[in-house]
Amino acid sequence: MKTLLEKLIINYPYFFAMVLFAIGVLTVLTRSNLFKKLLGINIMGSAGYILFIAAGNIRGGTEPILHTSDPGAVYVNPLPSALMLTGIVVSVSVTAFALSLIIRLYKEYGTTDAQRIARMRNEVTESDSSDRR
Amino acid sequence: MIADNLPAFVIIVPLFVGVVLPVFARRLRLVEGLVVLAEAAGLAGAGFLAYIVFAQKGTDWVYQLGGWPAPWGIELTVNSLAVFFLLAVMAVSLPIALFTIGNLKEEVGGNRRTARFYTLFLLLVGALAGMALTNDLFNTYVLVEVATLSCCGLVSSRGTPRAAEAAFTYLILATLASSLVVIGIGFIYVITGHLNMGFASQGLAEVWQTKPHVVWLAISFVLVGFGLKSALFPLHVWLPDAHSSAPSPASAILSGLAVKGYMICLLKFLYVVFGPDLMKEFSVDRILVLAGMAAIICGAVMALPQDNLKRRLAFSTVSQVGYIYLGFGLMDENGLAGALFYLASHAAIKSALFLSAGAMISATGKKKISEMAGIGREMPLTAAAFTAASLGLIGIPMFSGFVGKWYLITGSLDTGDFLPTVIIIAGSVLCAAYLFPVIRVAWFESPQTANQENTAQLKGPGAAQKLALLMLMAVIFILGIVPGPFIALAKNAAAELLMFR
Repeated sequence: MKTLLEKLIINYPYFFAMVLFAIGVLTVLTRSNLFKKLLGINIMGSAGYILFIAAGNIRGGTEPILHTSDPGAVYVNPLPSALMLTGIVVSVSVTAFALSLIIRLYKEYGTTDAQRIARMRNEVTESDSSDRR
Repeated sequence: MIADNLPAFVIIVPLFVGVVLPVFARRLRLVEGLVVLAEAAGLAGAGFLAYIVFAQKGTDWVYQLGGWPAPWGIELTVNSLAVFFLLAVMAVSLPIALFTIGNLKEEVGGNRRTARFYTLFLLLVGALAGMALTNDLFNTYVLVEVATLSCCGLVSSRGTPRAAEAAFTYLILATLASSLVVIGIGFIYVITGHLNMGFASQGLAEVWQTKPHVVWLAISFVLVGFGLKSALFPLHVWLPDAHSSAPSPASAILSGLAVKGYMICLLKFLYVVFGPDLMKEFSVDRILVLAGMAAIICGAVMALPQDNLKRRLAFSTVSQVGYIYLGFGLMDENGLAGALFYLASHAAIKSALFLSAGAMISATGKKKISEMAGIGREMPLTAAAFTAASLGLIGIPMFSGFVGKWYLITGSLDTGDFLPTVIIIAGSVLCAAYLFPVIRVAWFESPQTANQENTAQLKGPGAAQKLALLMLMAVIFILGIVPGPFIALAKNAAAELLMFR
């Protein structure tokens, strides 16, 4: 029976993936700067990539291309890498869209801080309703 | 050729039409025609698939994309559950598309923005159809991402700073949820080596006893991820802002269908991949019932003080989602069938509510319930649609909500637990408490004097809008008066899910 530490050392990519994921979630939830939230999202995405690619890796395996000289070679599972290519494409589009929203908000409020934006928006709606009265 | 590849066409037609729409942005009539045509084709396809499922009784039609067989290729499964949700998606999104004809341009501004709105709309419909049919874990994730990005685009489509802020919050939380889901899928892949739902399920059955911690992690990641996306009670914080700041047709499809798509995904993950045995083992069913009950009560209580009509409806969605999760957690054939039926019924009802609310708001320019006195006399059809949908949501007999609630109550009594029954009835009372005031103000209060000047130039809904509202009312009444075939389909789906493995 392996100890917990041995298990962690053997499976270190998964451990790092979880640490990265925790860092990402913390960044998203605790930072009020919109850019930092977006960075947190990307860090979380990286955790997913590491998890999948580590799952596909075989130690000592070659690239998954058929070599005529060595047809019996052990090769790395290409599926997770292909899946993560899709994941990266998704992540790029999310980032692009989020950046465009940040630009829109910055033009309007002159800041990228979520709390300040919320405060300014509340002031605006309050003055609106007082105008109406 | 079309009949053989119908499951793929149902997904591809909306996606493809959606992508080419911006090319015709200058000719808005053509764009609207194409959207309605694509929707009608989708509905016809869904109807034909439903016919095939009825004719084939018991055997699923498994369609292999690109002809690649199961462990390697992506499968689309045409079974009762998929067909049921597909019919709901198409039958509700067609009226929403009709409703947008002619009046969307004012709300989002400009031809190009309108065309882009339709692109996002059709991408969302295609992704929802895909979620219903797909039998592949990673394919589900990709479709979920397509739906999420389209939803965020729809929320921000007005272009106001308020909408951009709501869309950003939604985007961040939805992407967080997607990351949770993809890592959950990663765990399943790591221990089973499969992405096909059937094979992954077999793999999990073999290995879960040796690796309970990984399975536990996978279940919790998937549950929290989809729970966040479908606004399960403690995770609903993004929903009211996002759904109330979108244009009304977008609110209708977001509240009516998009949330339901994620719930169907979660249902497939829990019942098809993990299976009922594992759900009981990790007490997921208890969690779902508890969260559902909390959602029913808390959502309704939060809806009560809202004076902004669309915000009240958005909070009502939080409450109604609870009913469906409650049914998912009951692990009983009647309860699960009731949940599925309620899901379809709520899709039609909430769309009708948001669309009629949108028509009232755009005609009067007022967003608050207290300012809408006497609107029933000026816009009788719109107010009638709102009233019919409200009665359906509360669960008056003859309306679709009643049938769903009836089966949910039967299901909860079957399990021998009385608390869910009490909560379901209490939820109905609270629902009446937050919807009846709107009906009272609309019909029985005389318009304020200040309004009288405006009534002259009050712009009522056009022909297409009236047709759309009538269609949604027809869906609500058909589901309420002749629920037979739909309940049969939902019961089939429930039996298949509970029997799985």
